[in-house]
This record gives sequence, C-alpha cells and structure tokens, in this order.
Amino acid sequence: MREPTYFVPASLLDGPLHGYAIIRRTEELSDGQVRLATGTLYTALDRLAAEGYVELVREETVNGRVRRCYGLTSSGAGALRAEATRMAQAARLVTDRGRHLKAGGSARKARPA
Amino acid sequence: MTPLERHCRWLLRAYPAWYRRKRAEEMLGTLLEASAPGRRWPSFHDTRGLIIGGLRVRGVLVWCLSMLWAALGVLGAGYDFMLSLHVPEASYLGVQPWVGESGVIITAAGLGALAWVLLTIPVLVAGLVRLYRRGRRAGPAAGVAAVAWSGAWIAGLVLMYQVGNWHPTAPAIWAGNCNEGQGCSLAGYRHAVVSWGELAVVAGWLALGAAMALILARPMRGLDLSDASSRSSGEANI
Repeated sequence: MREPTYFVPASLLDGPLHGYAIIRRTEELSDGQVRLATGTLYTALDRLAAEGYVELVREETVNGRVRRCYGLTSSGAGALRAEATRMAQAARLVTDRGRHLKAGGSARKARPA
Repeated sequence: MTPLERHCRWLLRAYPAWYRRKRAEEMLGTLLEASAPGRRWPSFHDTRGLIIGGLRVRGVLVWCLSMLWAALGVLGAGYDFMLSLHVPEASYLGVQPWVGESGVIITAAGLGALAWVLLTIPVLVAGLVRLYRRGRRAGPAAGVAAVAWSGAWIAGLVLMYQVGNWHPTAPAIWAGNCNEGQGCSLAGYRHAVVSWGELAVVAGWLALGAAMALILARPMRGLDLSDASSRSSGEANI
C-alpha cells in the first residue's frame, strides 16, 4: 500500500467520513506529516473502492452540493490490519538493530542528538 | 460563483467528462473546504494533485505510448507510399531509399521502424494492464475491452505486415533491371496498386489509432456513484 492508500482507510477506522473530514483526520493521525491533496484523496478512494476496501455509506446535500461519506468494509479493515502488521514487522527489523548499534557506540554517522 | 470556485472548476477539467459528471461537485466541495478563506486559487499542493489525478484517470502514459505506436504506423505506411512514387535504390540500413533521397529521411525512417518494433509488445501489455486494473469489477465489459484491445493490436501487426508485403523491395533490383545512376526499372512490380494499397494502410492506421483511443477512453468502474450532472446543471441556473 502506498501512503495515501494506507492513511485513508486508517482515518475511516472510527467511522465513516466525507472527503474533507478524511483529509483533516489523516493530518491529525500523522501529526501533520501527511496532508492529502484533494486529487490524491479521490485517486486513493477510487482505488480502494475498486478493491472493495471502501464503500459509499451515505450521500447528503450541503450548501447545495453533494457530499458523500465513505466507510471501511470488513475486507478493507482486514487488509489494513495485515498491512499494519507487515509494517510493524519491517520496522522492528530496524528499530531492534538500531538500539543494538547505539549501545555498541559504533555509529559514527549518527545524528547529533 | 466566487473566483476560487471558478478556478477550481477550471482545474477540475484535468479530469475526463465522464469522471467529472460523477465526481466534480463533490471534489469541488472538498476543494473549497480545504482552501483557506479569501484565496482566489487552491493551494499549489491541491493544484498539483488535481493535475496528476486527472492525468492518471485519463491514463495518459498508456495513451501516449499507444498513440505513438499508431503514429509511427501512419508514418511508416506513408513512407512506403512515398517510396512507391519514386524510383527505388539499393537498400540502406534496412531501409529502401529512393534515388536522390536525403540521408536524414532514410535515418528517420530507420529509427521510426525500430521504435515501432520496440513499442509493439509494451503497447499490448500496458493497454491490457490498464484495462484490467480499472475494470476488475466491471465483469464482462472488461473482457470485451481486453479483446478489443488485443484485436486492435493484431490489426496493427497485420497492417504492418501488409506494408512490408507491398513494399517496393526491388524485384527490379533482383531482376537486374538497375542501371548505375539511373535507378531501377519499375517494370518488376505493379506501381499503381502499391501506391493505393499503401494509402489504404495509412487510412487503416489512422482508424486503428482512433479505435485504440476510444477503447482507452472508456469510463473506469469503481464506486457506484450517482450521476450528478442533472443536479449540477439545475443548480448552475440559480
């Protein structure tokens, strides 16, 4: 999964959201690191919907304009969990070894902290 | 309509019409919410996202590859048409020049033929991958598009084969009808048939390019969204 296709379903874990709410929630969840562009958001939604991970939950009219809320499907939640597990394992490969390196004091290029 | 809304609508034209009918109103709402108050244009970040998103929905990369392949087919057949109007000379770098033809044209024809050959397989694969990706949930329609794409590709091969078949490769040269400095006698092949045949292949390649563009322009399936065009056109009058 690429970054937007990971953060969009992650932002839907607590319930269905509409377009701009997904952007805001993603920004919150990532501590401001991931600011989805509108075009990127809808590309990700299209892809996730094609995979059956996300579905249209309801449609409402706000300021005379259609607003759609999207929710995570059970298969989407499963795929998200599998991806999170995979990334946690991948991260552990580095974090565990990183600690060991620091303890050995051999990391000359370590950032000044 | 505020300037921001007008500019957003203009940028949304990066997306194809069928996509805008379903999504433009919703995306516009999101863009307006995402833009700080008082702005006349959406942020650079959002502008870039819209352009990239629009190009992606249109499948511009696959489209460009396929159109380049078809254009090379048109040029190749056109070159053979020109060739059939001239007195042929001995083959050079795999290209059959005519007497007095400039080296630039010969080289360009050789490179064009090479590019056509190199693009042939990538065009087939890229088109099928794109049609598969966007039509995975479309059922039989995706299959029809894939078959149409493969058919167009085979038609391209047949057209190119026919160009080669009609190519005025020198039966005259083989028959020893060539004189130094004067070129070859055209008695060895049927000149008029070759000319009109090659022109027909040019037309065939043009039609093929249009057919490939049409297949690629088919709407993508994904979310089952209602068509918002009737609603938005109603609102535009208010």
